[in-house]
Amino acid sequence: MKETPPKWADRFLRWYCHPALLEEIQGDAYELFYRESKENKQVAKLKFIWNVLRFFRWKNIRRVNKTNYDNQFSTGMLKNILIVSVRNFFRQPGHSLLNVFGLSAGFTCALLILLWVAHEYSFDRFHPETDKLFKVLTHVEANGSFQTYDVASCAMDVSSVPEIETLVSVSTGERWPHELCFRPEGKTNECIYMHGVYANEQLFSTFNFPILEGDQNPLKQTANIAISEKMAQALFGSVNPIGKIIKVDDRHEVLIASVFKNIPSHSSLQFDFALPYAILKKEWGINDEAFGQNFFNMYIKTNSVVTAEQLTEKLNDVRVLTEAYQAQKISYQAYPIADWHLKSKFEGGKNTGGRIEYIILFIIIGGLVVVMAVINFVNMSTARATLRAKEIGIRKVTGAVRGTIVAQFMGESFLMVFFSFIVSVVLAQLTLPLFNSLLTEPISLNLFSGTMPFYLTGFLFLVALLAGIYPSLVMSSFQPIRILKNQLSSGSSGSQSFRKSLLVVQLSVSIGIIIFSGVLYYQLNFITHKNLGFDRCNMIRIEPTFGLLKKFESFKHELSKDGSIMSVGISNSNPLNTGGGNTGVSWKGKSDNLRVSFKTIACSYEFPSTLGLKVKEGRDFQSQSMDTIRTEVLVSEDAVKTMGLVNPIGEEIKIGDTPCVIIGVVNDFHTESLHEARLPVILYRTSYEHLSAIYVKYRPGTTQQAMQTISHVYKVFEPSFTMKYWFQDDTFDELYKTEIIASRLILLFTVIALIIASIGIIGLATFNALRKTKEIGIRRVFGASAAQVLSLLLTEFSRVLIMSMIIASPIAWYAANYWLEGFAYHTAMPWWIFAATCVGVTALIGFIVWLQGIKTIATNPTKTLRSE
Amino acid sequence: MKGNYLGELEELILLTVGILYPEAYGVAVMDEVEKQAGRSLNISAVHSVLTRLEEKGFLKSKMSDPTEERGGRRKRIFLLTAAGKRALEEANEMRTQLFNQIPKVALQFRLA
Repeated sequence: MKETPPKWADRFLRWYCHPALLEEIQGDAYELFYRESKENKQVAKLKFIWNVLRFFRWKNIRRVNKTNYDNQFSTGMLKNILIVSVRNFFRQPGHSLLNVFGLSAGFTCALLILLWVAHEYSFDRFHPETDKLFKVLTHVEANGSFQTYDVASCAMDVSSVPEIETLVSVSTGERWPHELCFRPEGKTNECIYMHGVYANEQLFSTFNFPILEGDQNPLKQTANIAISEKMAQALFGSVNPIGKIIKVDDRHEVLIASVFKNIPSHSSLQFDFALPYAILKKEWGINDEAFGQNFFNMYIKTNSVVTAEQLTEKLNDVRVLTEAYQAQKISYQAYPIADWHLKSKFEGGKNTGGRIEYIILFIIIGGLVVVMAVINFVNMSTARATLRAKEIGIRKVTGAVRGTIVAQFMGESFLMVFFSFIVSVVLAQLTLPLFNSLLTEPISLNLFSGTMPFYLTGFLFLVALLAGIYPSLVMSSFQPIRILKNQLSSGSSGSQSFRKSLLVVQLSVSIGIIIFSGVLYYQLNFITHKNLGFDRCNMIRIEPTFGLLKKFESFKHELSKDGSIMSVGISNSNPLNTGGGNTGVSWKGKSDNLRVSFKTIACSYEFPSTLGLKVKEGRDFQSQSMDTIRTEVLVSEDAVKTMGLVNPIGEEIKIGDTPCVIIGVVNDFHTESLHEARLPVILYRTSYEHLSAIYVKYRPGTTQQAMQTISHVYKVFEPSFTMKYWFQDDTFDELYKTEIIASRLILLFTVIALIIASIGIIGLATFNALRKTKEIGIRRVFGASAAQVLSLLLTEFSRVLIMSMIIASPIAWYAANYWLEGFAYHTAMPWWIFAATCVGVTALIGFIVWLQGIKTIATNPTKTLRSE
Repeated sequence: MKGNYLGELEELILLTVGILYPEAYGVAVMDEVEKQAGRSLNISAVHSVLTRLEEKGFLKSKMSDPTEERGGRRKRIFLLTAAGKRALEEANEMRTQLFNQIPKVALQFRLA
């Protein structure tokens, strides 16, 4: 057999070569090839390719003859195409609306996600020269594991680092003294709680928190306060507040020096007032030396572009990080300020994500939903192609070239996408408030601000192109003669399998999303129902004023008179979320370099029983006199294990420098969100004035009565304050806010994904039933039962369905498993969700096929078969 | 002078076309250049030089009968034109003239 040169190279040559030169060039190339191939075939082929490539020169390249296509797109033609598109749209309004609805549902999803992602990314980026702003993080090493805090020593001295221009220090917090009661002018009995910060004077000059009125540098004076517009409005109404004197915490008089613009919602720092540190020292009643022990939010602004690594190195120098801190295995890290919001999760001193994980998750989901919507569109357009085959045939016969047909269908795709897009923009704007309420924090952006329209247009074109390219290529490839002679089989086998594989992708995505969200819900359910080791139901937490703490005994007594109140306890931290651990616990036999974190909770003697902790060994606290209280502690079983005590009762331990004796062992309980592992707990007693939260346990079902009693008694004790209280259940939900929001969003997108997939299946099922009308008629004539015909229609989908399940399950398993790993306590993989999803989707498809097929099946065969 | 100027490779190929008369086409020219001058050229290079020479009017071409060895394709046979002949003569003449002007002494290489 004669050797032939590589086909593709030959084809390439024919494609590019100028027709007038082709013969001689190809001839020479072939001649050389034949000569060479007598010696070595492989070399000959390579040389042929090389020659073809070498011939690819400007002179040899075919020129496009433009004059050929001059009249292809006349205005008349464009008008005709537009009219035909519109007519087509209205000829099958149900089908078209389904198509538009599917696309716009997908787009709406994508738009909302886009807004949310843009909002999340805009966090803390509104400050000038954001790239030069850093936040100082502190890593504390305890026995090989790291704890990371977003605060650093407020006494930090950075004068040895020339790159640092300013050091901003901000003290933030949730409760007193950061949340204070202010009284509107002239109403001394009214109390408005405001949330604020204490900071050094660089706060307003470094960050973009513009001062609208008054002193531009309000924190320089020791008795000044800067308040937000919102706070000014709340306290003074329309009166100008500048220069007025107000009382902070009813004690310290300060001058309102400035009013600043409300802090935008995409700022990590949120506050309504800012006070100088002098006030904080007074509030805490401590001197400068003790104050210097505190860790606050520290921000650095550099004067030149420095990388975070370089800055970190300088911060860990002994001149900045003192020897005392180094001995405590503390290290600093400079962290770009804009990264903190999204990447705030640290493990072992290294960033392991944070909100960014959810953002990526939602970008993926948004992308998948759009892909599904586009696949729907492509599937339905190509399925309809057969119905429009005659139109294409006529167009081709009357002189349309392939380009015209492609342009027509691309144009239609653009029209549809554009129309759906407008619908989705309207939908997105309408659903934004709802979406915001799901997120619990408002998105500050809208679709038409900043660079958004630019991205949207790009997105629009991309989608229209993707959606239009396949249908237009398929339809333009029809041969007019076969169409007009009615020889066109309903969609060539190639496009049939292409459609099926698209459906597989679509179904896989739906099944995957459903399984994933199922697992997510299952885990959240697991968390909310997991026994934490203490009661959180029917419990109210009250924030006491200092005055109330002093009168706590009588307050408790008053409350207990009411039958609905079961018990009242008090502690210094919420057992749901105790905050940082204590590594300063020592016991007999503890090795010197061992550093273990304990949770130490200061409380009153009633607290353990109010919380419902069970004493396993020894005894509970007793209401004995106050002078011995600090020496007795209760420990959890974990703590006994950690300390390796065989006989814990009576053992002596030290918290810091205070010697204590263990009097009892209580059951283990969680003191953080279930993302974290459970830590050993030590409960110690202290006097009421040092505690900060009152817990009231009431009888189940008496919420209203208990609330009435509590607020009544509170009013008697503290007539001039508004009571601040929380239900422990709500606080618990707050702990899993991100997960709860994410689960709501995922539920929403799951529903949308399911709707889109259903639309796709409805479209295809309708089409299939339509295509098989005659076949069904003939089968019916020969005595097939309705069930048999239905099963025929179902087999079309069964393989697609099985394929999708095989593809989706492992991917969903992997993703769900990865997500579950993020919790220290998680359920086993709930396999029944996989099974339930598959069964559910099968049932749904069966139902849709049945619904669409039954019409055709029920039709009298004589009607369907009469036409031929 | 552009248009009349004859490059070194152009001259070589123009000469080769003359030598190969009446069977000068791409591959044959390439082979002959390799045989006579020992220069290995790519076929595409030969083609571009031949086309250029034709544009300058030194060559003319016609299509031959189809041959089996080329898969039934015809060859483009190149022939010298009068202008081509003159260009070759001029180049040759100039070369001789210049060579003759070199002083005899300069060409005498003896062991010093």
